[in-house]
Parts: sequence; C-alpha cells; structure tokens
Amino acid sequence: MRIYISFFLLTVFISIQSQAQKRDTLKKDTSTKQLKEVVITGTRTLKSLQQVPIPITRITAEEIKKKGLVRLNEVLSEQTGITILDDPHGQGIQIQGFDPAYTLILIDGLPLIGRTTGVFELSRITTNNIHRVEIVKGPTSSLYGSEAMAGVVNIITSEPAKGFSGGLSGRYGTNKTVDVSLNSAYKTDKFYISGFANRYSSGGYTLQPSSGIPTVSPFEGYTFNGKTAYRFDDNTSVKLSVRYYTNDQDSRFLVDTRYGAGKGTEKDFNIAPVITHRFSKKDVLVLQLYRSTYKTKSDIRYEDNGEVYDETYFNQTFNRAEIQNDYSLLDNLKITAGAGGQYETVAATRYTKQQSFTSGYGYFQADWIPVKQLDIIAGGRYDAHSVYKSQFSPKLAASYALSPKLTILGSVGKGYKAPDFRQLYLNFTNAEVGYSVFGYEEANAGIKRLQQTGQIETVLIDPSTLKRLNAESSTSFNFGFRYKPADKLYWTANVFRNNISNLIETAAIAIKTNGQSVFSYFNLNKVFTQGIETDLSYQLFKPLQIAGGIQYLEAYDQDVLNQIKAGQVFTKDPETNQTRVLKRSEYGGLLGRSKYTYNVRVNYLDEKTAINASIRAIYRGRYGYKDTDGNGIVNRDDEYTKGYVLVNASLSKLFMNDAIRVQLTAQNLLNYKDSLVILNLPGRLIYAGVAYNFGGK
Amino acid sequence: MNKLTTLSLAFSSSIILLASCSKNNNTPTPVTSKLTTKTVADLDGSAGTVYYSLATGAQITGADTATNKWDIKFKSTSIFVNSGTSGTGTTQAQVVSSSFETLLTAPADGYKADATGANAITGWYTYTATTEPQHAILTVPGKILVIKTSTGSYAKVEILSYYKGNPNTTTATFADLTTRPASKFYTFRFAYQGDGTTSFK
Repeated sequence: MRIYISFFLLTVFISIQSQAQKRDTLKKDTSTKQLKEVVITGTRTLKSLQQVPIPITRITAEEIKKKGLVRLNEVLSEQTGITILDDPHGQGIQIQGFDPAYTLILIDGLPLIGRTTGVFELSRITTNNIHRVEIVKGPTSSLYGSEAMAGVVNIITSEPAKGFSGGLSGRYGTNKTVDVSLNSAYKTDKFYISGFANRYSSGGYTLQPSSGIPTVSPFEGYTFNGKTAYRFDDNTSVKLSVRYYTNDQDSRFLVDTRYGAGKGTEKDFNIAPVITHRFSKKDVLVLQLYRSTYKTKSDIRYEDNGEVYDETYFNQTFNRAEIQNDYSLLDNLKITAGAGGQYETVAATRYTKQQSFTSGYGYFQADWIPVKQLDIIAGGRYDAHSVYKSQFSPKLAASYALSPKLTILGSVGKGYKAPDFRQLYLNFTNAEVGYSVFGYEEANAGIKRLQQTGQIETVLIDPSTLKRLNAESSTSFNFGFRYKPADKLYWTANVFRNNISNLIETAAIAIKTNGQSVFSYFNLNKVFTQGIETDLSYQLFKPLQIAGGIQYLEAYDQDVLNQIKAGQVFTKDPETNQTRVLKRSEYGGLLGRSKYTYNVRVNYLDEKTAINASIRAIYRGRYGYKDTDGNGIVNRDDEYTKGYVLVNASLSKLFMNDAIRVQLTAQNLLNYKDSLVILNLPGRLIYAGVAYNFGGK
Repeated sequence: MNKLTTLSLAFSSSIILLASCSKNNNTPTPVTSKLTTKTVADLDGSAGTVYYSLATGAQITGADTATNKWDIKFKSTSIFVNSGTSGTGTTQAQVVSSSFETLLTAPADGYKADATGANAITGWYTYTATTEPQHAILTVPGKILVIKTSTGSYAKVEILSYYKGNPNTTTATFADLTTRPASKFYTFRFAYQGDGTTSFK
C-alpha cells in the first residue's frame, strides 16, 4: 500500500487523494463522490470503486468520526457481512463464515503479525490516524499470499496536508475507558514528517460481579506512529514509516481455590522504508522493506504466597523485502509483477527452540480493459516455503458496466493459509490435566522423549508416518453487482461460495500412561460456506440518510453432511432421552456462524447547525456455540445463543469553523448482555469526546 | 481444551457404590421371537456398584455379584461387563453407532472383554465441565451397547440418563446445580434376545 501512497506523491492522482482529513469534513456531502472513489487493496493498483471487479468496502475516516468510533473492532462490527466474534483470545472478525485466522490484516498494505490461536485482537488498532479502511471479501492470496483466504482488511493511514497541521482528540466514558490522540505534521512540496500518539486504556469490566474476577482486566495501551517522506525529483521518492504499540494488562483469575494474578505485556513494532522510482510514465518500480516484531510476556503468580503460576513469553519477527513493478504495456493493459523474500522467526515458552521460516514468492497481475465497459483481471502468486508445500494461488475477476449506473462483477480464485508456527512447532504439556500437544515437526521427537521417560501407554499413529502438514486452502466464487441509479442511492450485492479443504485440526496420536492423550495436527476437514450479502444506502431527503445491509450465511462441514446422509448422526429427544436419527434440516452448521445478520443505519446531518446524529442497529442472529447432546454438532435449540440487537448512536456538533468537534457516543444502548455466553459485550457504554484540529489545506 | 478436561474427568471417576431398586416396564414380546424389551428406570447406583442381569431383567445383589449371573454393572460413570478384569464370566460387548430401533441385528464380531484401562464399553457419555449445563454427565446419542452375555445371548442397551427421574437436561432446573436431580441413577432401555440368535426383531 505504501507503494501506492508513494506513487501518489509522484503522479497526477495526488489531486484526487491528498485532501487529507486534517480538518473535520463533516459538512461535505460524500454521497456524490462514490464514482470517483478509488481503492487499492483488491488489486494492489489504484482502481475506481465502481469498476474494480472484486467485492470491496471502503470506510472513510469521516464516516468513522461521525459515528464516534476510535478502534478498529468498533468500526468493523458495524459493517454488513462482518461479525466480531466473541473469543477468549480476542476480538477477531468473521468474513463469509471464515474464522478470524483467515483474514489478513494490513496497515498501509503491510501485514500485521501477533495472533493468539489465529485471532488478531482488532482493538490494538486505533482509527484516529487513518484515512480509510478497505475491506476485500473473497480470497486475495493471488496478491498477498497466506492468510488472505476470507479477505483482507487494509488500514490506510492518513497523509498530512500541506503546511503545519495538528490536532488532539479525546474520548472518555464507561469503565473509565480513555482514548486520547495527539497528532502533528509538517509538509512542504518535497518533504513531510508526521507524528501520532495514542493512549487507549480501560478499567475493564466484569459480567459476574459476585466472582471478583474481571471478564476483561484493566489495560493501558499506547500507539506511536511516525512517517516521513522525501521526494528527490518527479521520479524518485523515499518514505519511512514506524509504528510502535505497547499494551499492559493486569489479570486475575481463580486457579482451583486460589487466586492467580499478574501482568501481561504485548509489544508490536513495525518499520517500513520504501523507495519509489518512475522510469517513465508507464513504468513505476517500488522497493519495499519491512520488519515487524511482536512480543508478549506474562508473569502470573499465586496471590497467597507469590509463587509462580505461569510465566511465559512469545517473540515473533517478520522480515520482508519486496519489489513491485507496475508497467502499462498498452493503454488498456496494465501489468503488475512483484517478487519478495521473507524470513520469520518465533521463540516462545511453548517451543523447544527458536524456529524460523524462509519463503520466497512472485506474483503477477494483468489488468485488461478490452472495451470500455469490461475490466478483466487475471493474476496469480507462487509461494515457495522452507517448511510446507509450495502454493500457487490464481485469481480471475471481471466487471462489466451494463450501464453507467450498473456494474456486474464476478471472480474466482484460490486462497490459502499456511500452517502456523503453533501447528508446526508447538511443544506443550498441560500441567494440570496432563495432556500434550505437539506441532507436526515436533511430534516424532516429542513422542520419543515421552517414551524414554515411560509416559506413553500406546501409540495410536506412528509419528514417523504422519503426512506432511499442508496449507489449508479454498476455492471461492463471488458474483454481484453495484448499482447507482442516482447520487441518492447506492446498492450492492454479492453471492459467495467458498470450498475449503485441508482444514487443520487436532487429533490424538498416542495415549499417555496417565490416561491423557498426545495430540498433533492433521489436515482433516472439508467445509464450505455460502451466502449472499447486500447493502443499500439512500439519501431520503437532504439531511437524512438511511442505509441497511443483510447477510445470509450457510457454513457446513461436508463430512458431517455425508454422515447425516448415511443416517450416522444422532440426537436425543430431550423429553425421553431416547436416540433418534438426525435430519439434515436440523444440522445448524459450524459453530459461531449466524445464519442471519443485518444492520440498519440512519444519519441526520443538519448543515446549518453542523449537528450530526447517527444511530445504528446491528442484529446478529442466533448461532451455535456448544454441543450438549453429545453428537459433536449443533442441532438442538439449547445449543444456540439467542439472537440480539446492538444499538449504537452518536451525536456531534462542530464549532469554530469545523475546527472543534464535541461528541456524545453510545454503544449497546439497549444494554444487551449474555453474561454466561457472550463475554465481549460489556453492556451499555457511554462516551463523551472532543476533538480539535488545525492547519492543513 | 474443554474437551480434554472432559475426557480426563470421564476416564478418572472412581467412587464405589451399591445398588438398591429397579423398576421394570414390561412390554409384550412377540411369540415367534424370544426378544424381551424393557426400560429400566432409576437403577440406583448412588451407594456403590450396581449389578444387572439382562437375561432375567433384574438387579443382582449379594453373593451372586461374584458369579456369572450378572451381565453388566454400573459404577459411577463406568459400565463394566462380566469378564476379564471385571468379573468371572465371559460377557463381551461393543458400542455400535445406531439408534435403538434401527439396530435389528447384533454384529457378528468385534466384541471385547474388559481389560485394565480398556473397558469394552466407553464413550457413552460426555462431561460438560464449564459449558452449560455445567458439570453434567450427558448420555451421547447413537451409542448402542451390544452385549454378548456369558450364555452366548445377545442384547442391545441404550443408556438414557445418569440422573434420577430421567430428567430433561435442557431445562433451567437441570442446569441449576441446586435443583438438579441426584446422579448415579441409571435409566436405560434394552432388548434381550433369548433364542441365541443375533436378531433384534
């Protein structure tokens, strides 16, 4: 992404893009801008949002500010077709029925690392210094490689406007949650430098007040972001971005009858220098370097005697060098080609030693516009890896403008997710229960070690015969339209189907003498997800905009469907507890997937008084979260949560020629809670905020 | 890792109990076949191990528990057959995936005697741990125990409940540990084929 932002600095596109949002732009009427809007994430080249043949959503900083939102999880939770999952490992997103591990998260086009069992905690990302968020749905491994199976979320940070500019903003409210940001920048024709700092902290909350145990413990996080760029001449420029995030979180919980408490720290550091050179109008080369580190440390001790309960660390690094060339072969044919190398390491308490990956890749894309209405994009990426099988991820996409108002688009592509360090190298034995889990590469040595100490009763699968762990992969189809009959109305729809194979699951490979199992990882399941998503916004009359979106989703395990067909899946009648054969219609699909989700958004903007009122209702239909009748699948009503509605609202007013914004924000106004099942809903949250911006333009 | 906890707890229960009453609901059996079908309600294992004869459809107590007269015994969450490490008999068993009604013939082979750490009958229940209803033993659907008794007769057994009164386990009353019925009361139904064939018709 940085590539393109640099590209911006060099090209005529600068005029479209550089109206940076240093000043609040609440009063601007955005509904007419749709056709001119550009996106970059779907193709790694700038494309108009109306033309790009891939389902993509673009959320501007202005929209986010109007809603009073400050963290990425808050922003994404209100998007059609996106669900924030309640997971003990963090707030991750579900796109097209995929778990959070299958969506790549980027900042300015560069991947963020640091996931816990595949979940990337989205509240780590502040949205106070961004220009926009782009969400691509459907596999994008053809450009980005591993993890981009469900889609890509790309956070594009803002570029400073000319001159000296700056601002500060703060939001405070329920649970002593504070979000404060400070930014400043200076820009000339050839040079800019900008700095940003943010503090995000909270007193946490508990859904079980009598327990004395917090559901979310108090935390204190800081983000620092610095960027600088220099343009030597019309053809060559350099840019450097640095980002640092640190978060301290207390924790306290029950260990049998004793309390354990302590502190956990996470640190995330990224540095990304880039050189952009234009050989000619037709040929632009970008050399990008990137290093990212993610470290966590936790020290939990028993409260009564101070003995160590759990002391862990996790250190991950990611290094990349990449070169990309954009070449306009013909006026209507653009070629993008790139190649890169990556070196990744991890060292952690649960790994035998420091482990590393080396990988190399090349990608290619042709963007061809044979006739004005038709845009065809064909591309692919080849990833060669030191540990798992090489992957080729092709993609073909096309859009056709039936009229200037209506574009239809379709794409087919492959996505993959590489086995992660955990699945390959984990070496973990649960101290309390006594089971062990070994990554694929560790299994042989791990079993031998246990055998030598006489801990193995029977070996179920000889680890030397284990099949090499392969990447999880999907083949996906997306088909939809964008319809914009007038400036007032914008309607999109997308039908999707994802066939996913080789899902990595754990299975027992041996029984220990203590009766516990030894687990390792296997490519097992085949699942599919399919559904339809549609979103419509309409300017009812000048100040009032109404909008809404719906997603219908089905997500099933193919093996379970086959078993049901064979009459081999059973349930119990809750009244008699007698077994009966399960019907296909009773199968509720994969855990955590709501069949129906929808949202309704209303925005009222009074230009005279500069008052904006926004209210949104987000419904998440019931979803399976457990299996109580013991057949391993969701089928009975008591295995589902209840469906629920969250109502979020915001009221703001601008003062002093738009320089100051005063805002009241409420989340979960109806105070919906499910204290036993849904732990990421703390109840009603009320915030007051103020922001001041100066300079720019 | 809840599942792992579940398994560990499931395999490690070890309280010895004794039995008392059983109630039989006789259903008429066809004349042509010697098939007896019964539902046994609340066989009481709350005081220790409880022994049962599928052939006679009655509980076995006293000195007879040391003989071949019983076929299966219940001890907390474990079910044993009268053979190997569990008894003097030659009863064998296996667990078949089916509904009770649709299992019309006993498998010809695949039967096992009890051995240390490897009972013939496993996997008939799950332990919920901290999932609602918490800390409950729930019977797994589609687990039909097929027993080949010491006399060479076949029987199929479905365990219905581990709690007194065969309660609906999806209710709030059951979820609440203070109102949940007492455990170790076994309700099960079985069909015993007295003619020595594998037919359950």
